[in-house]
Amino acid sequence: MKEKIQSRFDKFYAGLTHAAQARIDAFWAGFDCHCRLGKWEKQRLREDFEAAILYYLDNGVALEQALERVAPERLGGFYARPAVLWFALDDAAKIYPLSMKQNRMAVFRLSVYLRQPVVPILLQMALTFTIKRFPSFATTLKKGFFWHYLDTAKRRYCVEEEHEIPCRPLKISHSGSQSFRVLYYRNRISVEFFHVLTDGTGGMVFLKTLAAEYLRLTGVQAEADDTLWDSDDLPLPAEYANEFARVPHSEKTSGFVDKPAVQMSGQLAKQKPCRILHFKMDAAALKAAAARYHGTVTVYLLALMFLSGRAATDETTGEASIQVPVNMRKFYPSPTVRNFALYCGIRQPLSMEADIPALVENITQQMAEKASQAAMGEMLAATEQLVGMLKYVPLEIKQPVASLVYGFLGDTIFSNTLSNLGVVSLPPAYAAEIESMDFVLGPEISNRASCAMVTFADTATFSITKMTVDPSFEEMMYRLLQADGVQVRVEGSAFYGD
Amino acid sequence: MEIEIIYPPVDKRYLRRIGWQRIVKWVCLAAAPVCLFVNLCTGGKAWSVVVLAALYTFWTLALSPDMVEYNRISQLVRTVACCCLLLWLIDLLLVPGWAGTVVPIVCCSGLLAAEVLLFTDLERQKQNMRPLLLLIVLAIAGAGIALSVGSLARTWPWLALGVVGLASLIACAAVLRRDFLRELQRRFHTK
Repeated sequence: MKEKIQSRFDKFYAGLTHAAQARIDAFWAGFDCHCRLGKWEKQRLREDFEAAILYYLDNGVALEQALERVAPERLGGFYARPAVLWFALDDAAKIYPLSMKQNRMAVFRLSVYLRQPVVPILLQMALTFTIKRFPSFATTLKKGFFWHYLDTAKRRYCVEEEHEIPCRPLKISHSGSQSFRVLYYRNRISVEFFHVLTDGTGGMVFLKTLAAEYLRLTGVQAEADDTLWDSDDLPLPAEYANEFARVPHSEKTSGFVDKPAVQMSGQLAKQKPCRILHFKMDAAALKAAAARYHGTVTVYLLALMFLSGRAATDETTGEASIQVPVNMRKFYPSPTVRNFALYCGIRQPLSMEADIPALVENITQQMAEKASQAAMGEMLAATEQLVGMLKYVPLEIKQPVASLVYGFLGDTIFSNTLSNLGVVSLPPAYAAEIESMDFVLGPEISNRASCAMVTFADTATFSITKMTVDPSFEEMMYRLLQADGVQVRVEGSAFYGD
Repeated sequence: MEIEIIYPPVDKRYLRRIGWQRIVKWVCLAAAPVCLFVNLCTGGKAWSVVVLAALYTFWTLALSPDMVEYNRISQLVRTVACCCLLLWLIDLLLVPGWAGTVVPIVCCSGLLAAEVLLFTDLERQKQNMRPLLLLIVLAIAGAGIALSVGSLARTWPWLALGVVGLASLIACAAVLRRDFLRELQRRFHTK
């Protein structure tokens, strides 16, 4: 295929006028200045440029315009300089490489659905132009003697066609391996991140920048605004800072351990996740349904999740608990794309009444208390304290202990998770080219489901990552939403592995 | 509830590979107690310990390889470490009297081979120096211990290993210069 592109490009070049050949020569001279990678990597990057230029010409774009869209100046200095930057992991990220196993890795996924099928060649170029804006993503995970760290990796970051299970562990072990993957399938662009790099908010910044860059390459022109990062801007240190170290610390600390929560009763699947489901809803209808109970969308969905969780378990006593990640940027505004989120646990006894208004009221109270700045400050102080205590313990000792402890405790204190990224905005010209977005959490150890939500334009997408074949949870969710007048369109995957 | 499928069918090779790995892992886990049991029943030398170490070697190199930093230097160093453990156990439990000479020679060869791997692809492999540094530290420490407990006539292989370790350290520092210091700074950070 690559040879074919190269020979096609050579043929195309040979058929050009002298003036056009001179223009192409100048283009490659510019490319050589901006790309000082090793021979093999440089060749692959050059082939990407050739393929993109040929694609444009095949689709009626003038040569000059094609060369302008993929101008090598847009590579900046990223590929022209040796890799010297490195990043210590932020405090929230430190646990992820310690607790991972061959078949268990904290991965989450963000997707954007375009109105047109994805052109892989242009997506590859979009990634090449975008990655320089995110230096902490252009890295590979390494082992230190005390902690893991991220080491800059100058390489061609590649896109892949999707043909495997979502959120499967990333291969991060080889020299220069990337800790995220960019996938495409039909009209969908997905990015799966190892949590060590970023949280949902940071990941969404990357996806938006990548999608906008892709749309620019397809010829969409949009006015820049503050909803989007410009991939040509220089990265600022604040954008990859460990904000846990910067924010003021509470005197009090809170613990991480809690009572075990009741789990849904479905048998855990061998292959996790065993299914992905997306409930696509009208955002206004969902908001109106939540408003009828005097709650926010998050609180309303939590209430429905508690009721659905109860329908999916045979237990009659105990408490269900839902983990709710809390974006710390709302308390301490920051442009960082590193992890800057903590979590709280919202609990309900199984003996609760199946009364949505009462549940909403109770959950609203719990959220006000447990997701408050003070509560998060205590958890942040506890995190800092733990990291401080462990910092001189060699990694070879920390790793097996953390893996063991995580394996024992793991996610047993929660029954489920709800991560709501909120409303995502883009400049109108780009937004017009996008249908919807979704956010999928990776599989858990003992939880049977994990839920995430994101709203784009008028579509709210509630995604469920299933770890059991038992459909009770999602069927009850569906029924409750329909009963409240929220029309749901269900999309998803077939069952994996069974 | 009707579900519209919007995900591609999964490549079955991935699922099959996971399935096979799971089976081989269980076979390994089952083989360990069986060996111990047979050894205890039949009596004699503790050969089952050597088998357990061999199973561990297979497990760590093939079934559960490093999830971070799986590269040619790390795999070489891991192989050398596992071989040394096996040789030492065979000497201790089955055929005594030779590991004191053979183990440092194997380590020394491993160290030299790791240096070759580093310097033949310096640009990429300089990010993979951690296992080499570990081996160097162990080599120098081994030489130090040997020197303090035995006579020169008996401990010369260990001393030779220590000298090779020291030379390797100096070679790395001399060739990489600032990169070497930067590498140490990253590797030993406590942030």
